Amino acid sequence: MKPPPFHYVRCSSAADAVALLSEGGEDAKLLAGGQSLVPLLNFRLARPSLLVDINHIEDLDYVREDEAELCIGALTRQATLERTSLRSCWDAIAEAVPLIGHYPTRFRGTVGGSIAHADPSAEIPVLCLGYGARLTLVGAGNQRIVVADDFFLGPFMTLIEPSEILTDVCLTAPPLGASTAFEEFSERHGDFALASVFAGMQLIDGVCSWVRIAAAGVGPTPVRAAAAEAALLGSRASDADLREAAAALASECSIRDDFHCSAKARSEIANELALRALTRARGKQVGVAGRRSEGLHQPSSESSAGEDN
Amino acid sequence: MEQMSDQDSPLRSRTDPAVVAMVGSDDIVEVTFELNGTATTLRCSVRWTLADMLREKARVTGTHLGCEHGVCGACTVIVDGEPVRSCVMLAVQVEGSSVRTIEGLCPSGELHPVQRAFHESHALQCGFCTPGFIMLSVGLLEREPDASKGRIRDVLSSNLCRCTGYRPILRAVRSAQREMSQ
Amino acid sequence: MLAAEPKSVGRPVLRKEDNRLIKGLGCYVADVNRPDQVYARIVRSQVAHAKLLGVHLEEARARPGCVAAFAATDIPDIAQKKIPVRITPSRLDQFALQTPLAVDKVRYVGEPIAVVVATDPYVAEDVAEDVWAEMEELPPHLDPLSAGGSVLHEMVPDNIVGDIDTSNGEDVDGLFRNADVLLHQRFSIHRHSAAPLEPRGLVAEADPQTGRLVVWGPTKVKHFNKRVLASMLDLPDNRILLIEPDVGGGFGPRGEFYPEDFLIPWLALRLKRPVKWIEDRAENFVALNHSREHVIDLTIAAQSDGTLLGFRCTDWCSVGAYVRTTGLTVAKLVGLHLSGPYRWRGFSSKVIGVLTNKTPLGTYRGPGEVEATFVRERALDILAAKLGLDPTDIRRRNLIPAEALPYRVETGPRSETLEYGSGNYPAMFDRLLANAGYQELKDEQARRRELGEAVGIGVACFLDQGGIGPFEQARVVAEVDGTFTGYVGVASVGQGVQTALAQILADEIGVSVDRARILHHDTDSIEDGMGAYASRTTSVGGSALVLAARQLKDNARRAGAQRFGVAEHEVELRADEVWARDGRVVTFRALECEASARFETSAIDFSFGSVLATVSVDRGTGRVRVERYVGHYDVGRAVNPLIVRGQLEGGAAQGIGGILLEELAYDDRGQPLCTSFMDYMLPTLSEVPYIETAWSEFPSEDNLIGAKGAGEAGIIGSMAVIANAVADALDPDRMVVTSTPLRADRVLGLLRASSSAPPHGISSTLDST
Repeated sequence: MKPPPFHYVRCSSAADAVALLSEGGEDAKLLAGGQSLVPLLNFRLARPSLLVDINHIEDLDYVREDEAELCIGALTRQATLERTSLRSCWDAIAEAVPLIGHYPTRFRGTVGGSIAHADPSAEIPVLCLGYGARLTLVGAGNQRIVVADDFFLGPFMTLIEPSEILTDVCLTAPPLGASTAFEEFSERHGDFALASVFAGMQLIDGVCSWVRIAAAGVGPTPVRAAAAEAALLGSRASDADLREAAAALASECSIRDDFHCSAKARSEIANELALRALTRARGKQVGVAGRRSEGLHQPSSESSAGEDN
Repeated sequence: MEQMSDQDSPLRSRTDPAVVAMVGSDDIVEVTFELNGTATTLRCSVRWTLADMLREKARVTGTHLGCEHGVCGACTVIVDGEPVRSCVMLAVQVEGSSVRTIEGLCPSGELHPVQRAFHESHALQCGFCTPGFIMLSVGLLEREPDASKGRIRDVLSSNLCRCTGYRPILRAVRSAQREMSQ
Repeated sequence: MLAAEPKSVGRPVLRKEDNRLIKGLGCYVADVNRPDQVYARIVRSQVAHAKLLGVHLEEARARPGCVAAFAATDIPDIAQKKIPVRITPSRLDQFALQTPLAVDKVRYVGEPIAVVVATDPYVAEDVAEDVWAEMEELPPHLDPLSAGGSVLHEMVPDNIVGDIDTSNGEDVDGLFRNADVLLHQRFSIHRHSAAPLEPRGLVAEADPQTGRLVVWGPTKVKHFNKRVLASMLDLPDNRILLIEPDVGGGFGPRGEFYPEDFLIPWLALRLKRPVKWIEDRAENFVALNHSREHVIDLTIAAQSDGTLLGFRCTDWCSVGAYVRTTGLTVAKLVGLHLSGPYRWRGFSSKVIGVLTNKTPLGTYRGPGEVEATFVRERALDILAAKLGLDPTDIRRRNLIPAEALPYRVETGPRSETLEYGSGNYPAMFDRLLANAGYQELKDEQARRRELGEAVGIGVACFLDQGGIGPFEQARVVAEVDGTFTGYVGVASVGQGVQTALAQILADEIGVSVDRARILHHDTDSIEDGMGAYASRTTSVGGSALVLAARQLKDNARRAGAQRFGVAEHEVELRADEVWARDGRVVTFRALECEASARFETSAIDFSFGSVLATVSVDRGTGRVRVERYVGHYDVGRAVNPLIVRGQLEGGAAQGIGGILLEELAYDDRGQPLCTSFMDYMLPTLSEVPYIETAWSEFPSEDNLIGAKGAGEAGIIGSMAVIANAVADALDPDRMVVTSTPLRADRVLGLLRASSSAPPHGISSTLDST
């Protein structure tokens, strides 16, 4: 499983990258972290004629938080984001990023790369939808900003034009005092998720005044669960309300059966994850600690009897 | 593809890294980096992975290929202090970097605490995944000497082993952690 | 006089193998490089079933960097070069053997149709892509149960390559008539891959000086493979040398003779250059023997107090497109292991090998035993639930008691008699339950069920067979530096053979273990050997070593006495020294002693094992989490407890992955859906619990070590015990689990099914007669 032949060039600025992409045509591809692209090269599922290595572009590796937004350079490594302390409204990021791939892959994988690659089960695109991200795309002689809701077109397909490069992603801060949570299910540690859900919520005087629900694994792209959000907005976010919202998400599930998981099971899982994410987000609002169903540092489910040191 | 082979292409004149030869469809480049503390320059095709450059050009074969798609971790090495999967990095990407492989862990012959712990905990059977696990663990413990047991479990879940059932590996890493903290 | 060296057998001696491996200085086949070598790449069929009309190599040969390209038409007599069956032949297997390259038909995705050679492995892959084939596709035959359908091999018209009957005891129909209850159930078990972490590889070179063909990479059954290769190349055996490098896991499929085991050496001879071939993971998934795919019908007759009477069983085993070297072994062992450690008044089974357009089947750790145990232990649980018995009680009632051992099980006129030797099954089962704290677990389960959790407890009992003969040879040499080298014909697949056998050798001579080394690496070092499989390396290989060491001591005594000019009875052996009465002493090494011996056995060791597991099932996602996994095994004698424990834990982990995560699936065109580690999911640390392992030692009387084998025991009960635990978690009648794997979406389906009554889709019938 060795890559097919290609030409390779490093560049040191976004403008340079754009110029190289223009010259290279449809068969030119950007190489950032490589954790998605190089396996595709090894399988020979990708056969670019030119690889443009953008790892040396400066100024695209940053995390800047202010009151209104969180801006992340496209070349920021996932591990960097994982290590960055952020205030509590960005909890969903702290919960999601450690679930992306594995520890070693996060040193190389980039935030922008994950967004541009647009694997339908990826975590960062869900965060983009949940946080209403604005994505900056730089092309030949122009720059545009696209909102996340419009950005994902299909599996591995986005609005990025062949000669454009994603440079920055700015997530919109939730209203002051809102809470967020992220839930994911994969059968094995670190695997592509069968489904994942972002939930953001704010309760004012017991009434849900802001809600965001986004999910992956329920369709060909990550989705904003508009019907589920509508069900919750203005409600008291009771258990029944949350169940209804979770069910609304699941009923919009348009994924097909695949070998790993039937569509029916996937929608059941999405339903369950939505319920858990919403419950925890609500719990953070009312000051009740929630137990995360998956993820890190969970109390080991092994019995303590006989456990090694 | 054809425009890239045009010698007059503006792209060709500013190609970085410089192509020093062309063999068949392959552009050959030179990669200069630090390998286990020694400055090294090697030639290979731009499409070669870091793992293959190490194994075939530098002839350090302790880094193993179990899958070539970045899942098993048998190919783990440490680049600029970070454990990474060398089968999904291109060789050219380590230009100017420091690369450490299993062979570089005990240059003087004395075992690294992680190596010794693997031996004493019977944390290897066939040994194929072992260098990858050792480099992953060394990378983690150097960066996070006080990693909790849960953190270690999470990180060790990155790599695959088919022989041991993993618990001896976990014991070995925690034992090495204790030794390294002294 | 020196104090006697303390014995090392039985002690957890750290492994000799480790030093190189932890430093990255192992030499696996991919690390072998020969001067001027070229790189081979196999071109494989992308179609499951087709007439092969032509293979086009022109473009491949024209690509710069291509050294050569060959298809079947380039290899003389290839149609006669069929890879033979090594064990368990069947009626029509001669008509379903594989040639190294497809000749006029392809029968599975992954079947080799051409081989190309290039100057580096990247270019070799480019060259391979230039090869194309003309094919006329045929419908694939994929379901072992479907009669008719496409015929794979002309002379096997119904795709049934053979069958094996077993029968025992009283007439089964009579038992059924007189039973209080009959349970009938169909089970299906999915296809597995052993998936060793190191893919296969070979480096072949015709040594210009000696004229010998040297091949690095073979393992497991090197001497047999050497003979096959010699025959296929028309060379005398002694012109071939097979060298076993370090091996990254075997588990059964690695080391059998595959098409590449002919092609790569053939290329080396043809091209007069060393040829290196390293398989990649995608190839490994379609080329390495698969295993375990069966549909099994089982009917059990019992009394209402749980006493087992008899059973009848039919196993349709999907053997894949060709019969490989292990023949019908997988199916045969299902038939032999169904009865297990229980008393039955009679039984009969038929196992049927059905050809299917999939990768061929081979043996995989605990072959047939894992599957038989799953089917029987599931059936016992279903029966127990229906009779209102605790699963442990129905087992206790029927386990063969200690006083009945050795216990002979006839299996029919054309099948071998099984003899279960030493042991105490009920006592070991009780020990397991005590170790696990069974009653406390039940109490805790009740508490957690009150809180709405789906938690289950499962048990399983089984027999593991090992120590298979017919022989091993060993040669021991006293080296000039005071060490002893034992040459053996077994193989290493990473299981620690060098250490365990060194302990045996050191103890027999009476020296410390660091003065003994074991070499098994090549076919020259010992004249013949059977190899590493069926948990025999320590017991049979070790016995040969013991005999050789004893012979060495006899030789030393004789030579020393002669040296001193005294009678043999007048000298004394102290460790590796021969002492005369007058104080003269001479060492074995000074006497240049060496000795060979052969250990033969026709016995098969059967050892009892039992396991308990607890699981919790997440009702919302279908995830099964294994909370506890407790095993108690009879290893006969633990030569090295560290190694024994490692084998038992590793086997259990592999089995847990096998039932909960791993699955090889095909679509309805015969295309494999799992050709990477992203689709075939080996468990990580997070999916494997702490495996609690304990053992008893009831020594085998059939070998000189007393060992019964630990390499497979760890996996044999794993599928059954996890399935039983999940069934217990999901459904009080424990009926819903009848097929594997138990991945999240299947478990969600079972949860849906078990919440409605009666459970639908269950073809279990329970008749009161």
